[in-house]
Amino acid sequence: MEFKNFSLFISQTKVNRFADDLAGGKIMSTLCKKCGKQYYPPQADCSACMASDMEWKEIKAEGKLLTFTKIHVPPEHFAVRQPLMPFSSLQFEPCPVGIIEAGKGLPVMGWIPKMDVKKIKVGMKMKASPFTLPDGKITIVLEPV
Amino acid sequence: MRKVGIVGIGHGKFGVRSDASLRELVFEAVKACLDDSRITLKEVDSMVTGVAGDEFSFGIQPSAQVHDYIGFHPKPNFRVEAACATGSAALRTGWANIASGLADVVLVVGVEKMTEVPTSTATEIMGRAGDATWEYPFGTTFPGYYAMIANAHMAEYGTTEEQLARVAVKNHYYGSLNPYAQMQKEITLEKAVTSFTVAYPLKLYDCSLITDGAAAILLASEEKAKAISKKPVWVAGLGCGTDAMRLGDRKSLTSLQATREAARAAYKMAGVGPSDIDVATVHDCFTIAEVVAYEDLGFCEKGEGGKLIEAKETYVEGRIPVNVDGGLKSKGHPLGATGVSMAVEITKQLRGEAGPRQVKDPEVGLTHNVGGSGQVSFIHIFRRQ
Repeated sequence: MEFKNFSLFISQTKVNRFADDLAGGKIMSTLCKKCGKQYYPPQADCSACMASDMEWKEIKAEGKLLTFTKIHVPPEHFAVRQPLMPFSSLQFEPCPVGIIEAGKGLPVMGWIPKMDVKKIKVGMKMKASPFTLPDGKITIVLEPV
Repeated sequence: MRKVGIVGIGHGKFGVRSDASLRELVFEAVKACLDDSRITLKEVDSMVTGVAGDEFSFGIQPSAQVHDYIGFHPKPNFRVEAACATGSAALRTGWANIASGLADVVLVVGVEKMTEVPTSTATEIMGRAGDATWEYPFGTTFPGYYAMIANAHMAEYGTTEEQLARVAVKNHYYGSLNPYAQMQKEITLEKAVTSFTVAYPLKLYDCSLITDGAAAILLASEEKAKAISKKPVWVAGLGCGTDAMRLGDRKSLTSLQATREAARAAYKMAGVGPSDIDVATVHDCFTIAEVVAYEDLGFCEKGEGGKLIEAKETYVEGRIPVNVDGGLKSKGHPLGATGVSMAVEITKQLRGEAGPRQVKDPEVGLTHNVGGSGQVSFIHIFRRQ
Protein backbone atom coordinates (compact mmCIF):
# COMPACT_ATOMS: atom_id res chain seq x y z
CA MET A 1 0.00 0.00 0.00
CA GLU A 2 1.17 3.51 -0.78
CA PHE A 3 2.23 5.43 2.33
CA LYS A 4 0.37 8.38 0.83
CA ASN A 5 -2.89 6.65 1.75
CA PHE A 6 -2.02 7.64 5.31
CA SER A 7 0.22 10.70 4.94
CA LEU A 8 -1.67 12.42 2.10
CA PHE A 9 1.48 14.06 0.69
CA ILE A 10 4.53 11.81 0.73
CA SER A 11 4.86 8.28 -0.58
CA GLN A 12 8.59 7.64 -0.33
CA THR A 13 9.88 6.70 3.12
CA LYS A 14 11.76 3.90 4.85
CA VAL A 15 8.79 3.35 7.18
CA ASN A 16 6.35 2.65 4.34
CA ARG A 17 5.34 -0.58 6.10
CA PHE A 18 3.49 1.49 8.72
CA ALA A 19 0.66 2.06 6.21
CA ASP A 20 0.39 -1.66 5.35
CA ASP A 21 0.20 -2.61 9.02
CA LEU A 22 -2.34 0.12 9.70
CA ALA A 23 -4.51 -1.24 6.88
CA GLY A 24 -4.05 -4.67 8.48
CA GLY A 25 -5.39 -3.39 11.80
CA LYS A 26 -2.17 -2.73 13.71
CA ILE A 27 -0.57 0.50 14.94
CA MET A 28 3.14 -0.14 14.75
CA SER A 29 6.17 1.52 16.32
CA THR A 30 9.87 0.89 15.73
CA LEU A 31 12.34 -0.23 18.35
CA CYS A 32 16.09 0.32 18.19
CA LYS A 33 17.81 -3.06 18.42
CA LYS A 34 20.96 -1.44 19.81
CA CYS A 35 19.69 0.85 22.58
CA GLY A 36 16.05 -0.17 22.93
CA LYS A 37 14.50 3.25 22.29
CA GLN A 38 10.97 2.98 20.94
CA TYR A 39 9.52 5.37 18.36
CA TYR A 40 5.98 6.36 17.56
CA PRO A 41 5.56 7.69 14.95
CA PRO A 42 8.03 5.06 13.71
CA GLN A 43 11.53 6.18 12.69
CA ALA A 44 13.90 4.19 10.48
CA ASP A 45 16.85 5.64 12.39
CA CYS A 46 17.57 6.03 16.09
CA SER A 47 18.34 9.59 17.23
CA ALA A 48 19.43 8.31 20.65
CA CYS A 49 22.37 6.14 19.47
CA MET A 50 22.52 6.97 15.72
CA ALA A 51 22.00 3.31 14.75
CA SER A 52 19.67 2.30 11.91
CA ASP A 53 18.91 -1.28 12.91
CA MET A 54 15.28 -1.20 13.96
CA GLU A 55 12.57 -3.77 14.54
CA TRP A 56 8.81 -3.30 14.26
CA LYS A 57 6.62 -3.63 17.33
CA GLU A 58 2.87 -3.24 17.71
CA ILE A 59 1.89 -0.72 20.37
CA LYS A 60 -0.86 -1.14 22.92
CA ALA A 61 -2.56 2.04 21.85
CA GLU A 62 -4.33 2.97 25.03
CA GLY A 63 -3.69 5.84 27.41
CA LYS A 64 -4.60 9.23 28.77
CA LEU A 65 -5.73 12.03 26.46
CA LEU A 66 -2.95 14.64 26.49
CA THR A 67 -4.95 17.31 24.64
CA PHE A 68 -7.52 17.80 21.89
CA THR A 69 -9.30 20.34 19.70
CA LYS A 70 -11.99 20.60 17.08
CA ILE A 71 -10.98 22.50 13.97
CA HIS A 72 -13.91 24.45 12.53
CA VAL A 73 -11.94 26.20 9.82
CA PRO A 74 -10.23 23.36 7.95
CA PRO A 75 -7.28 23.62 5.58
CA GLU A 76 -8.13 23.48 1.87
CA HIS A 77 -7.27 19.77 1.63
CA PHE A 78 -10.00 18.98 4.16
CA ALA A 79 -12.52 21.60 3.09
CA VAL A 80 -16.00 20.17 2.75
CA ARG A 81 -15.90 19.80 -1.00
CA GLN A 82 -13.63 17.03 -2.26
CA PRO A 83 -12.29 15.02 -0.59
CA LEU A 84 -14.70 15.17 2.33
CA MET A 85 -13.29 15.80 5.74
CA PRO A 86 -13.17 12.39 7.45
CA PHE A 87 -16.09 11.79 9.81
CA SER A 88 -17.83 15.07 9.03
CA SER A 89 -21.58 14.62 9.19
CA LEU A 90 -24.09 15.68 6.54
CA GLN A 91 -24.29 19.02 8.32
CA PHE A 92 -20.55 19.36 7.68
CA GLU A 93 -19.89 19.25 11.39
CA PRO A 94 -16.12 18.82 11.73
CA CYS A 95 -14.61 16.04 13.81
CA PRO A 96 -12.52 16.59 16.98
CA VAL A 97 -8.91 15.37 17.08
CA GLY A 98 -6.68 14.51 20.01
CA ILE A 99 -3.40 12.99 21.18
CA ILE A 100 -3.17 10.11 23.66
CA GLU A 101 -0.06 8.95 25.49
CA ALA A 102 0.13 5.24 24.66
CA GLY A 103 3.07 4.64 26.98
CA LYS A 104 5.96 6.96 27.75
CA GLY A 105 7.12 8.87 24.69
CA LEU A 106 4.52 7.26 22.44
CA PRO A 107 1.98 9.95 21.54
CA VAL A 108 -0.73 8.75 19.17
CA MET A 109 -2.80 11.29 17.27
CA GLY A 110 -6.25 10.45 16.02
CA TRP A 111 -9.73 11.65 15.10
CA ILE A 112 -12.39 11.47 17.85
CA PRO A 113 -15.51 10.85 15.71
CA LYS A 114 -17.93 9.72 18.37
CA MET A 115 -17.74 12.52 20.90
CA ASP A 116 -19.15 15.99 21.47
CA VAL A 117 -16.11 18.28 21.96
CA LYS A 118 -17.61 19.73 25.16
CA LYS A 119 -17.57 16.27 26.72
CA ILE A 120 -13.94 15.56 25.89
CA LYS A 121 -11.62 16.09 28.88
CA VAL A 122 -7.84 16.13 29.10
CA GLY A 123 -6.75 13.04 31.07
CA MET A 124 -9.62 10.77 30.04
CA LYS A 125 -8.60 7.24 29.07
CA MET A 126 -8.91 6.46 25.38
CA LYS A 127 -7.82 3.85 22.89
CA ALA A 128 -6.57 4.27 19.35
CA SER A 129 -7.56 2.04 16.42
CA PRO A 130 -6.82 2.00 12.69
CA PHE A 131 -9.72 3.04 10.48
CA THR A 132 -10.28 2.72 6.73
CA LEU A 133 -12.21 5.63 5.24
CA PRO A 134 -14.77 5.20 2.44
CA ASP A 135 -12.28 6.61 -0.10
CA GLY A 136 -9.72 3.90 0.77
CA LYS A 137 -7.47 6.16 2.82
CA ILE A 138 -6.37 4.87 6.20
CA THR A 139 -6.27 6.80 9.42
CA ILE A 140 -6.51 6.45 13.21
CA VAL A 141 -9.49 7.04 15.51
CA LEU A 142 -9.65 7.53 19.27
CA GLU A 143 -12.51 6.48 21.54
CA PRO A 144 -13.03 6.42 25.29
CA VAL A 145 -12.55 3.12 27.14
CA MET B 1 32.50 39.50 18.90
CA ARG B 2 31.87 43.05 17.79
CA LYS B 3 29.05 45.13 19.24
CA VAL B 4 26.08 45.66 16.89
CA GLY B 5 23.57 48.51 16.89
CA ILE B 6 20.32 49.34 15.11
CA VAL B 7 20.75 52.61 13.19
CA GLY B 8 17.64 52.63 11.03
CA ILE B 9 14.07 51.31 11.05
CA GLY B 10 11.39 51.17 8.38
CA HIS B 11 7.85 49.79 8.48
CA GLY B 12 5.29 49.54 5.71
CA LYS B 13 1.55 49.53 6.26
CA PHE B 14 0.38 46.02 7.25
CA GLY B 15 -2.92 44.71 5.96
CA VAL B 16 -4.66 43.24 2.94
CA ARG B 17 -2.38 45.04 0.51
CA SER B 18 -4.05 44.11 -2.76
CA ASP B 19 -2.38 47.22 -4.18
CA ALA B 20 1.19 45.87 -3.88
CA SER B 21 3.39 42.88 -4.71
CA LEU B 22 6.08 41.35 -2.48
CA ARG B 23 8.90 43.43 -3.95
CA GLU B 24 6.85 46.63 -3.83
CA LEU B 25 6.06 46.05 -0.15
CA VAL B 26 9.78 45.68 0.55
CA PHE B 27 10.56 48.93 -1.29
CA GLU B 28 8.28 50.86 1.09
CA ALA B 29 10.02 49.47 4.18
CA VAL B 30 13.56 49.87 2.81
CA LYS B 31 12.89 53.45 1.67
CA ALA B 32 11.57 54.32 5.15
CA CYS B 33 14.57 52.60 6.77
CA LEU B 34 17.09 54.52 4.64
CA ASP B 35 15.26 57.81 5.30
CA ASP B 36 15.39 57.07 9.03
CA SER B 37 19.12 56.32 9.01
CA ARG B 38 19.93 59.06 6.48
CA ILE B 39 22.29 56.85 4.48
CA THR B 40 22.02 55.32 1.02
CA LEU B 41 22.32 51.71 -0.14
CA LYS B 42 25.83 52.57 -1.37
CA GLU B 43 26.95 52.54 2.26
CA VAL B 44 25.35 49.15 3.01
CA ASP B 45 27.71 46.14 2.76
CA SER B 46 25.25 43.27 2.62
CA MET B 47 21.65 42.30 3.09
CA VAL B 48 19.58 39.44 4.53
CA THR B 49 16.00 38.78 3.39
CA GLY B 50 13.44 36.92 5.51
CA VAL B 51 10.57 35.29 3.62
CA ALA B 52 8.74 32.30 5.11
CA GLY B 53 6.78 30.69 2.28
CA ASP B 54 7.69 29.82 -1.30
CA GLU B 55 4.02 29.09 -1.77
CA PHE B 56 3.14 32.65 -0.81
CA SER B 57 5.90 34.23 -2.89
CA PHE B 58 5.25 32.18 -6.06
CA GLY B 59 8.94 31.59 -6.55
CA ILE B 60 11.78 29.74 -4.93
CA GLN B 61 14.11 32.72 -4.66
CA PRO B 62 12.08 35.63 -3.32
CA SER B 63 15.24 37.30 -2.03
CA ALA B 64 16.31 37.87 -5.65
CA GLN B 65 13.03 39.67 -6.41
CA VAL B 66 13.88 41.93 -3.50
CA HIS B 67 17.51 42.83 -4.23
CA ASP B 68 16.68 43.27 -7.89
CA TYR B 69 13.81 45.68 -7.22
CA ILE B 70 15.74 47.88 -4.78
CA GLY B 71 18.87 47.72 -6.98
CA PHE B 72 21.20 46.15 -4.41
CA HIS B 73 23.09 43.76 -6.69
CA PRO B 74 25.94 42.74 -6.96
CA LYS B 75 26.37 42.91 -3.15
CA PRO B 76 25.53 39.88 -0.94
CA ASN B 77 21.89 38.98 -0.27
CA PHE B 78 20.20 35.68 0.47
CA ARG B 79 17.04 34.39 2.09
CA VAL B 80 16.64 32.87 5.55
CA GLU B 81 13.58 30.95 6.72
CA ALA B 82 12.25 29.87 10.12
CA ALA B 83 8.47 29.78 9.51
CA CYS B 84 6.75 32.51 11.58
CA ALA B 85 10.09 33.43 13.20
CA THR B 86 11.75 34.12 9.84
CA GLY B 87 12.20 37.84 10.56
CA SER B 88 14.09 37.15 13.77
CA ALA B 89 16.24 34.54 12.03
CA ALA B 90 17.11 37.24 9.48
CA LEU B 91 18.03 39.67 12.26
CA ARG B 92 20.21 37.05 13.96
CA THR B 93 21.95 36.35 10.63
CA GLY B 94 22.51 40.05 10.02
CA TRP B 95 23.89 40.46 13.53
CA ALA B 96 26.32 37.55 12.98
CA ASN B 97 27.56 39.12 9.73
CA ILE B 98 28.63 42.22 11.66
CA ALA B 99 29.74 40.59 14.92
CA SER B 100 32.05 38.31 12.94
CA GLY B 101 33.57 41.17 10.97
CA LEU B 102 32.21 39.98 7.63
CA ALA B 103 30.36 43.28 7.15
CA ASP B 104 30.04 46.65 8.85
CA VAL B 105 26.56 47.71 7.74
CA VAL B 106 23.77 45.19 7.00
CA LEU B 107 20.20 45.72 5.84
CA VAL B 108 17.74 43.18 7.30
CA VAL B 109 14.43 42.87 5.46
CA GLY B 110 11.38 40.80 6.40
CA VAL B 111 8.37 40.42 4.12
CA GLU B 112 5.37 38.22 3.37
CA LYS B 113 2.68 38.59 0.75
CA MET B 114 -0.05 36.27 2.02
CA THR B 115 -3.34 37.42 0.53
CA GLU B 116 -2.55 36.61 -3.11
CA VAL B 117 -3.84 33.09 -2.25
CA PRO B 118 -7.34 32.35 -0.83
CA THR B 119 -7.68 32.05 2.97
CA SER B 120 -8.22 28.28 2.79
CA THR B 121 -4.94 27.89 0.85
CA ALA B 122 -3.10 30.10 3.35
CA THR B 123 -4.55 27.96 6.16
CA GLU B 124 -3.29 24.83 4.44
CA ILE B 125 0.21 26.21 3.80
CA MET B 126 0.54 27.22 7.46
CA GLY B 127 -0.99 23.96 8.72
CA ARG B 128 1.80 22.09 6.98
CA ALA B 129 4.36 24.03 9.06
CA GLY B 130 3.53 21.44 11.72
CA ASP B 131 4.54 17.86 10.90
CA ALA B 132 3.17 17.48 7.37
CA THR B 133 3.59 13.69 7.50
CA TRP B 134 2.31 12.75 10.94
CA GLU B 135 0.06 15.62 12.11
CA TYR B 136 -1.43 17.16 8.99
CA PRO B 137 -3.30 13.96 7.96
CA PHE B 138 -5.54 14.69 10.96
CA GLY B 139 -6.63 17.99 9.44
CA THR B 140 -4.48 20.09 11.74
CA THR B 141 -4.17 23.83 11.22
CA PHE B 142 -2.16 26.50 12.96
CA PRO B 143 -5.09 27.50 15.17
CA GLY B 144 -5.50 23.75 15.79
CA TYR B 145 -2.02 23.36 17.28
CA TYR B 146 -2.42 26.35 19.59
CA ALA B 147 -5.95 25.23 20.48
CA MET B 148 -4.40 21.98 21.74
CA ILE B 149 -1.92 24.02 23.81
CA ALA B 150 -4.86 26.09 25.12
CA ASN B 151 -6.90 23.03 26.16
CA ALA B 152 -3.88 21.58 27.98
CA HIS B 153 -3.20 24.93 29.72
CA MET B 154 -6.83 25.35 30.73
CA ALA B 155 -6.97 21.79 32.09
CA GLU B 156 -3.75 22.16 34.09
CA TYR B 157 -3.98 25.74 35.37
CA GLY B 158 -7.63 26.72 35.10
CA THR B 159 -6.91 29.42 32.50
CA THR B 160 -10.23 30.69 31.11
CA GLU B 161 -11.52 31.63 27.67
CA GLU B 162 -12.28 35.06 29.12
CA GLN B 163 -8.65 35.55 30.17
CA LEU B 164 -7.55 34.67 26.63
CA ALA B 165 -10.06 37.15 25.21
CA ARG B 166 -8.57 39.87 27.45
CA VAL B 167 -5.30 39.51 25.53
CA ALA B 168 -7.20 40.24 22.31
CA VAL B 169 -8.94 43.26 23.89
CA LYS B 170 -5.56 44.70 24.96
CA ASN B 171 -3.85 44.09 21.64
CA HIS B 172 -6.73 45.52 19.63
CA TYR B 173 -6.69 48.61 21.85
CA TYR B 174 -3.01 49.22 21.08
CA GLY B 175 -3.49 48.28 17.42
CA SER B 176 -6.07 51.08 17.23
CA LEU B 177 -3.24 53.48 18.16
CA ASN B 178 -0.72 52.09 15.64
CA PRO B 179 -1.03 53.60 12.15
CA TYR B 180 0.80 50.59 10.61
CA ALA B 181 -1.62 48.03 12.10
CA GLN B 182 -3.94 45.94 9.94
CA MET B 183 -6.96 46.25 12.26
CA GLN B 184 -7.06 49.66 13.83
CA LYS B 185 -10.16 49.06 15.88
CA GLU B 186 -10.96 48.29 19.47
CA ILE B 187 -13.05 45.26 20.43
CA THR B 188 -15.10 44.52 23.54
CA LEU B 189 -14.64 41.49 25.78
CA GLU B 190 -18.15 40.37 24.88
CA LYS B 191 -17.46 40.54 21.16
CA ALA B 192 -14.28 38.49 21.62
CA VAL B 193 -15.84 35.71 23.71
CA THR B 194 -18.90 35.39 21.48
CA SER B 195 -17.07 35.31 18.15
CA PHE B 196 -17.22 32.07 16.15
CA THR B 197 -14.99 29.12 16.97
CA VAL B 198 -11.99 28.61 14.69
CA ALA B 199 -10.47 25.67 16.60
CA TYR B 200 -12.02 24.87 19.96
CA PRO B 201 -11.55 26.72 22.34
CA LEU B 202 -9.98 29.44 20.17
CA LYS B 203 -12.38 31.87 18.55
CA LEU B 204 -12.01 34.41 15.77
CA TYR B 205 -10.64 37.10 18.06
CA ASP B 206 -8.11 34.71 19.62
CA CYS B 207 -6.37 34.44 16.24
CA SER B 208 -3.86 36.69 14.51
CA LEU B 209 -4.43 37.85 10.98
CA ILE B 210 -3.41 36.87 7.47
CA THR B 211 -1.37 39.85 6.39
CA ASP B 212 0.73 41.44 3.66
CA GLY B 213 3.58 43.57 4.90
CA ALA B 214 7.26 44.33 5.15
CA ALA B 215 9.67 45.81 7.68
CA ALA B 216 13.37 46.66 7.53
CA ILE B 217 16.15 47.51 9.96
CA LEU B 218 19.68 48.67 9.40
CA LEU B 219 22.38 47.14 11.60
CA ALA B 220 25.90 48.51 12.02
CA SER B 221 29.13 47.81 13.87
CA GLU B 222 29.80 50.01 16.94
CA GLU B 223 32.10 52.39 15.09
CA LYS B 224 29.76 52.77 12.10
CA ALA B 225 26.68 52.93 14.33
CA LYS B 226 28.07 55.92 16.24
CA ALA B 227 28.93 57.64 12.95
CA ILE B 228 25.50 57.02 11.39
CA SER B 229 23.16 57.54 14.34
CA LYS B 230 22.92 59.89 17.33
CA LYS B 231 21.01 57.28 19.31
CA PRO B 232 21.69 53.73 18.17
CA VAL B 233 19.86 50.93 19.96
CA TRP B 234 22.24 48.12 20.86
CA VAL B 235 21.66 44.39 20.42
CA ALA B 236 22.54 43.17 23.93
CA GLY B 237 21.53 39.52 23.83
CA LEU B 238 20.39 36.85 21.40
CA GLY B 239 18.89 33.45 22.12
CA CYS B 240 17.58 30.67 19.94
CA GLY B 241 16.04 27.37 21.07
CA THR B 242 14.29 24.44 19.44
CA ASP B 243 11.86 21.66 20.36
CA ALA B 244 10.30 18.51 18.93
CA MET B 245 8.47 18.72 15.61
CA ARG B 246 5.21 17.30 16.93
CA LEU B 247 3.22 18.61 19.90
CA GLY B 248 2.77 15.10 21.28
CA ASP B 249 6.54 14.59 21.58
CA ARG B 250 7.08 17.69 23.71
CA LYS B 251 7.99 17.44 27.41
CA SER B 252 5.30 20.02 28.12
CA LEU B 253 2.14 21.00 26.28
CA THR B 254 1.64 24.10 28.42
CA SER B 255 5.04 25.68 27.80
CA LEU B 256 7.33 26.16 24.79
CA GLN B 257 10.70 24.60 25.58
CA ALA B 258 12.19 26.40 22.58
CA THR B 259 11.27 29.74 24.17
CA ARG B 260 12.61 28.74 27.59
CA GLU B 261 15.93 27.77 26.02
CA ALA B 262 16.10 30.94 23.90
CA ALA B 263 15.27 33.08 26.95
CA ARG B 264 17.98 31.43 29.04
CA ALA B 265 20.60 32.16 26.39
CA ALA B 266 19.44 35.73 25.67
CA TYR B 267 19.16 36.77 29.33
CA LYS B 268 22.62 35.31 30.02
CA MET B 269 24.24 37.07 27.09
CA ALA B 270 22.63 40.41 27.96
CA GLY B 271 23.35 39.99 31.66
CA VAL B 272 19.75 40.74 32.60
CA GLY B 273 16.72 38.90 33.98
CA PRO B 274 12.97 39.08 33.32
CA SER B 275 12.48 41.88 35.87
CA ASP B 276 14.92 44.11 33.95
CA ILE B 277 12.75 44.12 30.82
CA ASP B 278 10.89 47.42 30.45
CA VAL B 279 8.91 46.60 27.30
CA ALA B 280 8.42 43.46 25.21
CA THR B 281 6.88 42.26 21.98
CA VAL B 282 5.94 38.58 22.19
CA HIS B 283 4.65 36.09 19.64
CA ASP B 284 0.86 36.35 20.05
CA CYS B 285 -0.11 34.40 16.94
CA PHE B 286 -2.95 33.29 19.20
CA THR B 287 -4.02 34.74 22.56
CA ILE B 288 -2.92 31.56 24.37
CA ALA B 289 0.56 32.02 22.87
CA GLU B 290 0.90 35.41 24.61
CA VAL B 291 -0.22 33.91 27.94
CA VAL B 292 2.29 31.05 27.60
CA ALA B 293 5.01 33.55 26.59
CA TYR B 294 4.45 35.58 29.81
CA GLU B 295 5.27 32.41 31.72
CA ASP B 296 8.12 31.11 29.56
CA LEU B 297 9.85 34.51 29.56
CA GLY B 298 9.60 34.71 33.36
CA PHE B 299 7.24 37.72 33.48
CA CYS B 300 5.10 35.66 35.90
CA GLU B 301 5.07 32.21 37.49
CA LYS B 302 4.07 29.14 35.47
CA GLY B 303 0.29 28.95 35.25
CA GLU B 304 -0.21 32.62 36.26
CA GLY B 305 -0.32 34.07 32.73
CA GLY B 306 -4.11 34.34 32.70
CA LYS B 307 -4.03 36.33 35.95
CA LEU B 308 -1.29 38.65 34.63
CA ILE B 309 -3.50 39.87 31.77
CA GLU B 310 -6.57 39.95 34.02
CA ALA B 311 -4.68 42.37 36.32
CA LYS B 312 -3.77 44.46 33.23
CA GLU B 313 -0.07 44.19 34.14
CA THR B 314 0.88 43.96 30.46
CA TYR B 315 -0.68 47.32 29.51
CA VAL B 316 1.58 50.41 29.04
CA GLU B 317 0.95 51.43 32.66
CA GLY B 318 1.45 47.88 34.00
CA ARG B 319 4.42 46.06 35.48
CA ILE B 320 5.63 44.69 32.11
CA PRO B 321 4.06 46.21 28.97
CA VAL B 322 3.67 43.58 26.24
CA ASN B 323 2.65 44.02 22.59
CA VAL B 324 1.70 47.67 22.95
CA ASP B 325 2.04 47.93 19.16
CA GLY B 326 -1.04 45.71 18.73
CA GLY B 327 0.91 42.47 18.42
CA LEU B 328 0.42 39.90 15.70
CA LYS B 329 -3.19 39.92 16.86
CA SER B 330 -4.16 43.32 15.50
CA LYS B 331 -1.03 44.74 13.85
CA GLY B 332 -1.06 41.62 11.64
CA HIS B 333 1.31 38.71 11.05
CA PRO B 334 3.06 38.74 7.67
CA LEU B 335 5.22 35.72 8.58
CA GLY B 336 8.63 36.86 7.31
CA ALA B 337 8.11 40.47 8.40
CA THR B 338 6.92 39.86 11.95
CA GLY B 339 10.31 39.43 13.69
CA VAL B 340 11.71 42.53 11.99
CA SER B 341 8.56 44.50 12.82
CA MET B 342 9.01 43.52 16.49
CA ALA B 343 12.57 44.93 16.44
CA VAL B 344 11.26 48.12 14.79
CA GLU B 345 8.72 48.57 17.61
CA ILE B 346 11.24 47.97 20.41
CA THR B 347 13.67 50.42 18.74
CA LYS B 348 10.90 53.04 18.60
CA GLN B 349 10.10 52.44 22.27
CA LEU B 350 13.75 52.69 23.35
CA ARG B 351 14.18 55.88 21.31
CA GLY B 352 11.03 57.30 22.90
CA GLU B 353 9.26 57.62 19.54
CA ALA B 354 6.20 55.41 20.12
CA GLY B 355 3.72 58.28 20.51
CA PRO B 356 0.50 57.44 22.37
CA ARG B 357 1.79 53.90 22.96
CA GLN B 358 5.06 55.03 24.55
CA VAL B 359 6.18 53.16 27.67
CA LYS B 360 7.72 55.50 30.25
CA ASP B 361 11.48 55.82 29.75
CA PRO B 362 12.39 52.21 28.87
CA GLU B 363 16.04 51.13 28.84
CA VAL B 364 15.81 47.42 28.01
CA GLY B 365 13.43 45.83 25.51
CA LEU B 366 12.82 42.25 24.37
CA THR B 367 11.43 40.60 21.24
CA HIS B 368 10.13 37.01 21.24
CA ASN B 369 9.35 35.30 17.95
CA VAL B 370 8.21 31.67 17.56
CA GLY B 371 8.41 29.50 14.46
CA GLY B 372 5.68 26.98 13.75
CA SER B 373 3.92 25.51 16.76
CA GLY B 374 7.07 26.04 18.86
CA GLN B 375 9.72 24.10 16.91
CA VAL B 376 12.02 27.15 17.05
CA SER B 377 12.08 30.35 19.07
CA PHE B 378 14.22 33.51 18.87
CA ILE B 379 14.64 36.10 21.60
CA HIS B 380 16.53 39.36 21.18
CA ILE B 381 17.28 41.84 23.95
CA PHE B 382 17.95 45.48 23.08
CA ARG B 383 19.45 48.31 25.14
CA ARG B 384 19.25 52.07 24.78
CA GLN B 385 22.79 52.76 26.02
